[in-house]
Amino acid sequence: MLSIKNLHACVEGKQILNGINLEIKAGEVHAIMGPNGSGKSTLSQVLAGNEAFDVTAGEVFLNGDNLLDLATEERAREGVFLAFQYPVEIPGVSNLQFLRTAVNAMRKHHSKEDMNAAEFMKLAKEVSKQVDLDPAFLKRGVNEGFSGGEKKRNEIMQALLLQPKLAILDETDSGLDIDALKVVSDGVNALRAPDRCIIMITHYQRLLDHIVPDYVHVLADGKIIKSGSAELALELEAKGYGWLGIKDEAVANQ
Amino acid sequence: MKTAPMLSSAFLQPAGQALPTTLLALRFDRASSLADLLLPTRRTENWKYSAKHLKLTDEMASSLPSDASVEAADISGYTVVLVNGVVRPEVSNYPSIEGLSIQRFSELDVDDAALAADLIGKSISDQPAKSGSVNLSQLNGARFEDGLLIQLKPNTVLDQPLFVIHHTTASHSGSAYPRILVAVGRNSQLTVVEDYVSSGDCSVMVNTTTEFNLDDGANVTSIRLNTEGQAVQHMGTTGVRQQRSSRFESHSVGFGGTLRRHDLHVRLEGEGAECKLNGVVVTQGTQHYDNHTTIEHVAANCNSEETYRNIAADKSHAIFNGRIHIHQDAQKSNANMSNKNLLLTNGAEIDTKPELEIYADDVKCAHGATIGRLDDESIFYLVSRGLSRRDAKVLLTMAFINELVDQIPVEQVRESANIGLNQFFDQAFQEV
Ligand SMILES: Nc1ncnc2c1ncn2[C@@H]1O[C@H](COP(=O)(O)OP(=O)(O)OP(=O)(O)O)[C@@H](O)[C@H]1O
Ligand SMILES: [Mg+2]
Repeated sequence: MLSIKNLHACVEGKQILNGINLEIKAGEVHAIMGPNGSGKSTLSQVLAGNEAFDVTAGEVFLNGDNLLDLATEERAREGVFLAFQYPVEIPGVSNLQFLRTAVNAMRKHHSKEDMNAAEFMKLAKEVSKQVDLDPAFLKRGVNEGFSGGEKKRNEIMQALLLQPKLAILDETDSGLDIDALKVVSDGVNALRAPDRCIIMITHYQRLLDHIVPDYVHVLADGKIIKSGSAELALELEAKGYGWLGIKDEAVANQ
Repeated sequence: MKTAPMLSSAFLQPAGQALPTTLLALRFDRASSLADLLLPTRRTENWKYSAKHLKLTDEMASSLPSDASVEAADISGYTVVLVNGVVRPEVSNYPSIEGLSIQRFSELDVDDAALAADLIGKSISDQPAKSGSVNLSQLNGARFEDGLLIQLKPNTVLDQPLFVIHHTTASHSGSAYPRILVAVGRNSQLTVVEDYVSSGDCSVMVNTTTEFNLDDGANVTSIRLNTEGQAVQHMGTTGVRQQRSSRFESHSVGFGGTLRRHDLHVRLEGEGAECKLNGVVVTQGTQHYDNHTTIEHVAANCNSEETYRNIAADKSHAIFNGRIHIHQDAQKSNANMSNKNLLLTNGAEIDTKPELEIYADDVKCAHGATIGRLDDESIFYLVSRGLSRRDAKVLLTMAFINELVDQIPVEQVRESANIGLNQFFDQAFQEV
């Protein structure tokens, strides 16, 4: 379903991704772990189409479409969704208006009629309950003054609303208290579907207790240096990254 | 150094003689004192950015026909229509309410004519100004024709807004000089919507002046919408005098053109008076919009709150100059001024200048001005959810002015403003 081949990318002249190869089949959940600064967020931003990053080599296909040929909004409409590690606060833009515009952009792309305000409100209330966010959040500015955990839940809520084909969750578990982690994990598990693939970037095994991945990959210096089953995460938790031959400083940053 | 050009004498010949003699005399007086008016140049401080757009050619001096036909305004409430600066009762719909009088200058009796003559220029300096600052409202004093005197007796409340439609239409170049005087009695309430529109693409000038006089406890809302055509040079002046515990609120929404200039001058003359001035300006193409505001705290214990937002696209130019003058006796003044600006392109220009003159020692005065751009991270976030770039930019731009548009207390005006804004966005955020 998703096929990443030899992906290289740089930002402001600095090379960050050094040949990523990754194949994900429909229905699978892949976890990506790795030291700080290894390029995990860069990979997710490149997949979503952030123009601040330059792709210098490689290809990415989603269901046969070359993603790199598509503009950011077209990728989103084809089903790419990124839950940001640091969701942006946009004061003055109401969450509700933003989400409805997004849902209707998606629907238009799939030749469906616009959802009216009442229908949308009903749907939005449902999904906000699913991630345990008070529907009052819908009326606030996008992420405006949200706590760290509320921002993460808002990201999952958007994923539930937009029903993507490829969901990339960039550290959606960080900064969550124990209850919120459960809520977010339930949300992610609800996203699991036979026609959807999920990339989950995380530093912590604890998330993987709730969402068991099909594969775990270790990203270091912009390359996947090891892949394995869910047990790999346990091994990393126990041993750290040192045994994989990653530079000490990178580990020290962890 | 070149000497500043003089105002052509062609400008000093007013049309329309059917006015009370007091007003004819006043107009004649003003014209004589203007004979040696120097025109602003870019060295004239308060015309620094706009002087180059001023076209005061002899052609521009000619009067525009006041009998031109116009379509009736599409407004259900109270309306007064001025065509090329002259009130046209047959296409207007005056409210007839106890305590309210709306009169054309030409129909004023001796007493009211004396009142009008007394009010003209009171709220603004329309006397020849000291060198360095040129006030083109002076020209209005020499050229006005059949203007409007609105009087509200004490304790009178107008139940609906009064729309004053300023229509400029011409088949040749020339100028129009609307003059409106509003006198609001004690504890009376009034909302005036001034809507400036035009038809035809002749190069014309609208030189308009509106003056509000608020007695003790009066409450006036003034809304100003400017959607004139590109070729209109607009020079507007609004003067406000506020007595004790009166409240004045101004909402202006302006779209750019060849030259748009609005000077808003508020004098808080009575203790406890309060004003709130909101303004939104959007410009695109090669448009120009220049807002100058002055708030004078003359008496003690007055509040002023000013919020202006400019958005400039393409190669356009928006200017905000906000002056707060706190007189020596105006203790316990409270003044707040905020001007935020959004540049949508590298080619656009925005100039903002707060000016504070404070002569009292016990005052609270805050001001802030910023110039920013749309944030790329925010655009990426919105677009990554499937929004088009246009929609993302519209949401972000509207976020910048929503608060001000939402505060406009007349729905019809909010709708017109939104229509104008959408046309602006269609141009500014065209997808190539
Ligand atoms: N806009 C940018 N400008 C310059 N350097 C950048 C930019 N974005 C990322 N980088 C650099 O690229 C490298 C990879 O960053 P990235 O955010 O992808 O790491 P990460 O693996 O997600 O780390 P973490 O676990 O801390 O989230 C880092 O060294 C970072 O400083
Ligand atoms: Mg990261």
